[in-house]
Amino acid sequence: MLKNMFKKTYTKIDTKYRAPEKEIEQDETPEESPQVPAGLWKKCNKCGKPIYTEDVRANFYICPKCGGYFRVKAYRRIEMVADVGTFEEWDQEMEISNPLDFPGYEKKLEAAREKTKLNEAIVTGRVQIGGYPAVIGVCDARFLMSSMGHNVGEKITRAVERATEEKVPVILFACSGGARMQEGMISLMQMAKTSAALKRHHDAGQLFVSVLTDPTTGGVTASFAMLGDIILAEPGALIGFAGPRVIEQTIGQKLPEGFQKAEFLLEHGFIDKIVKREEMKETLAQILKLHGGVKMEETAEKNIEEEAKVVDKVGSMIRSAWDSVLLSRKSDRLVASDYINALFDDFMEFHGDRYYKDDGAVIGGIASFHGIPVTVIGQEKGKTTKENIFRNFGMPSPDGYRKALRLMKQAETFGRPIICFVDTPGAFCGIEAEERGQGEAIARNLFEMSALKVPVLSIVIGEGGSGGALAMAVANEVWMMEHAIYSVLSPEGFASILWKDSKRASEAAKVMKITAKELKELGMIEQVIPEEEPASLETLPVIKEILDQKMQKFMEIWGQMDGDALAASRYDRFRHY
Amino acid sequence: MFQKILIANRGEIAVRIIRACREMGIQTVAVYSEADKEALHTMLADEAVCIGPAASAESYLDMERILSACVTMKADAIHPGFGFLSENARFAELCEKCNIRFIGPSAEIINKMGNKSEARKTMIQAGVPVVPGSKEPVFTAEEGLKIAKEVGFPVMIKASSGGGGKGMRVSRSEEDFEANFRNAQMESIKGFSDHTMYIERFVENPRHIEFQILADHFGNVIHLGERDCSIQRRHQKVLEEAPSAAISESLRTEMGATAVRAAKAVGYENAGTIEFLLDKNQNYYFMEMNTRIQVEHPVTEAVTDMDLIKEQIRIAAGEPISVKQEDVKIVGHAIECRINAENPEKNFMPCPGVITELHLPGGRGVRVDTAVYHHYKIPANYDSMILKLIVHDKDRESAIAKMRSALGELVIEGIETNLDFQYQILSEPDFEAGNVDTDYISTHFPEYCK
Repeated sequence: MLKNMFKKTYTKIDTKYRAPEKEIEQDETPEESPQVPAGLWKKCNKCGKPIYTEDVRANFYICPKCGGYFRVKAYRRIEMVADVGTFEEWDQEMEISNPLDFPGYEKKLEAAREKTKLNEAIVTGRVQIGGYPAVIGVCDARFLMSSMGHNVGEKITRAVERATEEKVPVILFACSGGARMQEGMISLMQMAKTSAALKRHHDAGQLFVSVLTDPTTGGVTASFAMLGDIILAEPGALIGFAGPRVIEQTIGQKLPEGFQKAEFLLEHGFIDKIVKREEMKETLAQILKLHGGVKMEETAEKNIEEEAKVVDKVGSMIRSAWDSVLLSRKSDRLVASDYINALFDDFMEFHGDRYYKDDGAVIGGIASFHGIPVTVIGQEKGKTTKENIFRNFGMPSPDGYRKALRLMKQAETFGRPIICFVDTPGAFCGIEAEERGQGEAIARNLFEMSALKVPVLSIVIGEGGSGGALAMAVANEVWMMEHAIYSVLSPEGFASILWKDSKRASEAAKVMKITAKELKELGMIEQVIPEEEPASLETLPVIKEILDQKMQKFMEIWGQMDGDALAASRYDRFRHY
Repeated sequence: MFQKILIANRGEIAVRIIRACREMGIQTVAVYSEADKEALHTMLADEAVCIGPAASAESYLDMERILSACVTMKADAIHPGFGFLSENARFAELCEKCNIRFIGPSAEIINKMGNKSEARKTMIQAGVPVVPGSKEPVFTAEEGLKIAKEVGFPVMIKASSGGGGKGMRVSRSEEDFEANFRNAQMESIKGFSDHTMYIERFVENPRHIEFQILADHFGNVIHLGERDCSIQRRHQKVLEEAPSAAISESLRTEMGATAVRAAKAVGYENAGTIEFLLDKNQNYYFMEMNTRIQVEHPVTEAVTDMDLIKEQIRIAAGEPISVKQEDVKIVGHAIECRINAENPEKNFMPCPGVITELHLPGGRGVRVDTAVYHHYKIPANYDSMILKLIVHDKDRESAIAKMRSALGELVIEGIETNLDFQYQILSEPDFEAGNVDTDYISTHFPEYCK
């Protein structure tokens, strides 16, 4: 090895330069040897790597090495989402409550107060986020694991009541071990108390956004945390009713990886959206904006006049019914997300039916249409094979219909018009779908949609497959793209049932009257949206213009009607068939 | 003066720094990754500390480990070399916090020069010429044309979000401006959903000229003349020389003074390089400042007879620069060829492997900076540059002849290298005549640039 052959550096030659004596004295600060100052680094409790403390602070308390989330102190959390200097704290001073005279509890509280410099495990008050006012409550896990006792419940309840009164949205950052054992039954009652306050807030048409952070468990999960009109969660947060250790001990099994994590809950339909910490402020601001009831912008009215011209072009190319069937299924045909992205601003997707699952075949959320907040829901087929599979080729499961209905009810609460994009070969037919009540889910949508007190517009953009399509098309107006189809059964199915020969599908398509033009003539739909060239990404700009104009008109007409009139009109629309 | 320096780098530059330290009687600590256990720098240093696995992010880029090694080994300074952490402001800042001298400028200056728009602003304030152009973004062809007329044609129309030639167009006159602007903007809208554009003077067939400067704690700033680094492939320098064939004595004095002014404007300390674009009409524009020692520093060392690494160490230790501006004399001509473990035939794909046969050239005016040795195994994890061949002779012609001879004598077997490609560059009549610009390789060797 060369290593042992090289001579080492032993002698110190130094340089010719000698600093003037005087200067040495000036610079004579006691020279310290190299050392890492205490607190410069801390160890990430997730990946175990050393991390630079300043980095963590600047990076929203996220480990720069592994991306793990650290718990955040309440005031720091508020700083992270609130506009500078807008936070006004409420109920800062609360007297210690020890309803059971639990021995040692007061001492424990004093210690927690000393340690955290907080009065209780939650901080509440008023803030502005992106300029929009809100009432905020943030749990702080350092304070007895942010368990909910009388004072926590009381602060939340007061904050919610005040928000209801002042007509301001509520945002609660949940993080808790559950009920505070030392306060016994009083603690249990906080669940009912906070939930009741939120019910009143909801019934007053006011928004509640719940943000779940690590960990949210026990009585907090089983009360206010899960009651948000919109439920957000931080990535990787542990969220559950019973803690994982308790479950493991009870069932005597090891729990699977990722169980009870935010992602698990999203998949199971209990969370609208997982939001990264660095995007939380922006997301909250956008939600507040879309719930602020902004007035419609003055849009170019001149366009509406030009509309007539465009509409005349319908059917400029005569195609057969079978052509439309094939076009409606074409792989490059526009899908719901194309329309959503083209027509709306600030679309924010929400997930989950709050019962069992988040169905990929239905996408939905809130967005803004020329400044009007709207709820948008679409049956989504996806574009690539991978997406097709994830979206189940646009065939919704019961969970998809339940998600759609949940979002529609949410829209009703906040008075938002609903726009549905219908594009499904039919509701999914499978074992699980039946187990979870496919029929019930569709029926429930027909039942509830008929009486929604907001304008509903459904646009069939591709295949309108039977009941699976109707479950999202009980609308005030139903429109169809020129080459969309809407039918009780696929032409293949029709041919095979009636003629025992599915090959005669093209013939069936002709007699079934399933094209937009025929259905318009039958009075089943209000409008046919022209496709001079079949809908694809190339023709999207043209289609977008046409839809945009027509939808503005729709909003203008239906937006003025009151809720009962809207429901009545919808009733009549379907009554006369 | 420092007792012990830790070298936070690998390869030939680590060896280069260790040698300077040895000559100065300063002990050295090498850091190495698991892949570099048998690397020359690991063996040559007085002490060596393994700082992690082969991946740079977990070894040569891991600040905590390097600082811990430095503290443990009781080294009082860190030389970062080039690449890796050499221009990382955070690292410089951390060194300071740990009471370790970072051999280079302060974190503040690294930050300032690392931010292109801020560097540009600083330079404009200091009266250093920059490529003329729009300071504010433009959105319409009309606005753009107004600015184009101000800065003068030809102009470069650049998309703010653009990259890799997308959203970029050259307009040579008023007539073709609008069409080019629209095309570039359309490309940007399609590619990046952004219609923000900038207009700046298009510098045609420029040379890449950079000035080496030294600045000490006492406010002395000198320049050591220029290097011509126009021979580049995809913005990677391939061959460098000093002085440049395109620069007269008076232009050198002028540009040198500008470089010194630029360094003074930011309160620079230690060795640094100011890069300029030089057009055919001898107009020069500030491009950027490199706040570290450069790969090609040996050509400057050759023509000025100075040791830049030693100067860096002295300056960091609070000593003044060893020479005055008037004592700096550019003598003769020096050329450096970068020898890379890569295959020019296969689009310069890196070719790590074992060196089975090695012969290094020598003789008067021939210098080899390398970390390879007989039977050395080049790891695949790092940069492919394995050797720098530097020659120095009385004039450019002699230097070219010497470089050709030395390249002919250099034998590296077992791996593919760009040695023959370098030889071809040197044999082109245009190179011999000194007609080079940054497009030299793409115009003279189109077959290598597919």
